[in-house]
Amino acid sequence: MHSKRLKKIEPKQFYNLMCLFFYFRDRKEWADLEPVPQDDGPNPVVKIAYSEKFTDVFDMFRALLKNDEKSERAFALTAEAIELNAANYTVWHYRRVLLQALDKDLREEMKYITAIIEDQPKNYQVWHHRRMVVEWLNDPSEELQFVAEILSQDAKNYHAWQHRQWVMQEYKLWDGELEYVEELLEEDVRNNSAWNQRHFVISHTRGYSDSAILEREVQYTLKQIKKAPHNESAWNYLNGILQDGGLSSYPGLLEQVTELQDTCSSPYLTAFLVDLYEDALETNSSSYDQQETLNKALELCKLLAEEKDTIRREYWNYVSRSLQNTYGSGDPVASSSDPPPPSSSQQPDTEPSDP
Amino acid sequence: MLTIVFFALSGLDVLDALDVVDKPSLIEWIYSLQVLPTDDKSNLSRCGFRGSSHIGVPYNSSKGPGAPHTYDSGHVAMTYTGLACLVILGDDLSRVCREACLAGLRALQLEDGSFYAVPEGSENDMRFVYCAACICFMLDDWSGMDRQRAIDYIRRSTSYDSGIGQGAGLESHGGSTFCAVASLCMMGNLQEVFSERELKRIRRWCILRQQNGFHGRPNKPVDTCYSFWVGATLELLDVFQYTNFEKNRSYILSTQDRLVGGFAKWPDSHPDPLHTYFGICGLSLMGEAELQKVHPALNISVRAFESLRRLHEAWRQKST
Repeated sequence: MHSKRLKKIEPKQFYNLMCLFFYFRDRKEWADLEPVPQDDGPNPVVKIAYSEKFTDVFDMFRALLKNDEKSERAFALTAEAIELNAANYTVWHYRRVLLQALDKDLREEMKYITAIIEDQPKNYQVWHHRRMVVEWLNDPSEELQFVAEILSQDAKNYHAWQHRQWVMQEYKLWDGELEYVEELLEEDVRNNSAWNQRHFVISHTRGYSDSAILEREVQYTLKQIKKAPHNESAWNYLNGILQDGGLSSYPGLLEQVTELQDTCSSPYLTAFLVDLYEDALETNSSSYDQQETLNKALELCKLLAEEKDTIRREYWNYVSRSLQNTYGSGDPVASSSDPPPPSSSQQPDTEPSDP
Repeated sequence: MLTIVFFALSGLDVLDALDVVDKPSLIEWIYSLQVLPTDDKSNLSRCGFRGSSHIGVPYNSSKGPGAPHTYDSGHVAMTYTGLACLVILGDDLSRVCREACLAGLRALQLEDGSFYAVPEGSENDMRFVYCAACICFMLDDWSGMDRQRAIDYIRRSTSYDSGIGQGAGLESHGGSTFCAVASLCMMGNLQEVFSERELKRIRRWCILRQQNGFHGRPNKPVDTCYSFWVGATLELLDVFQYTNFEKNRSYILSTQDRLVGGFAKWPDSHPDPLHTYFGICGLSLMGEAELQKVHPALNISVRAFESLRRLHEAWRQKST
């Protein structure tokens, strides 16, 4: 008779299985340490049903902390604790203390933290730990590639972008980032994080006060809008880079945007025009007929409220009222619940409108 | 863990169901989480509240002194939620070591105006600016921070699109926008820090977050908790009334779990304390029947806020 073949188990699996039964409190190398239980007093409020393994590991962790033990076994235990709860910031801090006290190999630590972040990319502590190790090594050389890896799995991971920006600023690694951003926008033109990064890179390099750069960006953004008109990110970017100079004074902008109205209509386009007209009114621009501009702005608010952005109907009516009160002639229009007008508001124009 | 207790407790408060809670026991437990100044007061810069007893410090719910422990320090979010829970439970904060908490808070502020969570160091961002503002507000004492630096941090975190990110250069986000605006409101500085033009732009950014429910960033999916983060911000900016209540309410209710109760971020997802709490608060902002009103900046019931205000009056009278 053939004996039944046992399923082959990898060494690590075997060890883990054994560990389920081999608690730290039973290991002879830990016999000198008295486990410290959590003490929530006579009326514990939050009774978490910790597993035996969890209690065992953390009772031993508390004991190590109490003695401020700096040893290899302590270091090994932090890995166990992290596996059970990677959000415990005290464990991570203690691990960093040990990394330094035991002069551990930080390259190995980089490999370790890389694996943990891959597994739990939305945890705050793991990213902070990575940042500390990079700082100690003073070596950012793997960072941009690593973050790109994480972003390839979730292109909007806020932690990843935060780390990326920190690395770039700290180590002045601006080269190639605009190209990277464009790649991401090719993949998803609606990636708001990528648009934000675009602004980040340019503001920290050539800057937008360079009119050639500004024009390049305006054209780039309009091109993306034509590809995907209903994209708030692109419109926010266009508005954002032009607001300092004033939307109504940027040459050719009104024409270029108005041109898009037929084929690339969206509530964002309409709102952009409202903002442009409001800028003309606010700056009392001589290139614009004030009354006509106000009327156009009010018309567009009505269009948004009734047709293009009905979910914000009340808001667009409110914007309309504000515009009328600030720039219109005649009686103020108000809803009793409107916010109080600013003390520095322009007085209504009392001159009669042109026939 | 204290943060989870806060979600549960404040949630029950908004549901007007605090009577199911053993208030005295809870108050004792919360005080046991206070990192007390030691005899020699050498740990003042580490004081505040812990999130749980996980370090293994012996139980002590008194006003002190505390037992020294190398790794025992407060966490800014736990100090904030600890104080908030005490206020909700009607405690008079008499066992809070105010000076120690404020010293612990000062120790957490960086040069750029933002805050660490713990004195050992951690990430720093707008979340902890908010926690710090709440602590100062509740203790009625702004010596816990350099306000101007915090304001500068907030201004520098404002994005090109007029939303506010977690820090300078970072993507604008509903959570950090709430943290920034609510902090300024608690400082009493909103109108001084932002011009009317800037406030208009922030209002626009926020109000564009509504899709049916709200999302936290352009082109991201909606999530129940943003009905509070963005909703409360809009309320602080006086324009929440112009949002679409029906669609917001419908969305929040669609994320309710019919079997277990509570709310999740999305429909047909697992509910959790955070989304349940913020779902309730999101509904409260719209005046949902049978829910207590929530203070949009401090994020506790208006009723709890009023009892805090009375406490402040008593403190001020005592000191004159």
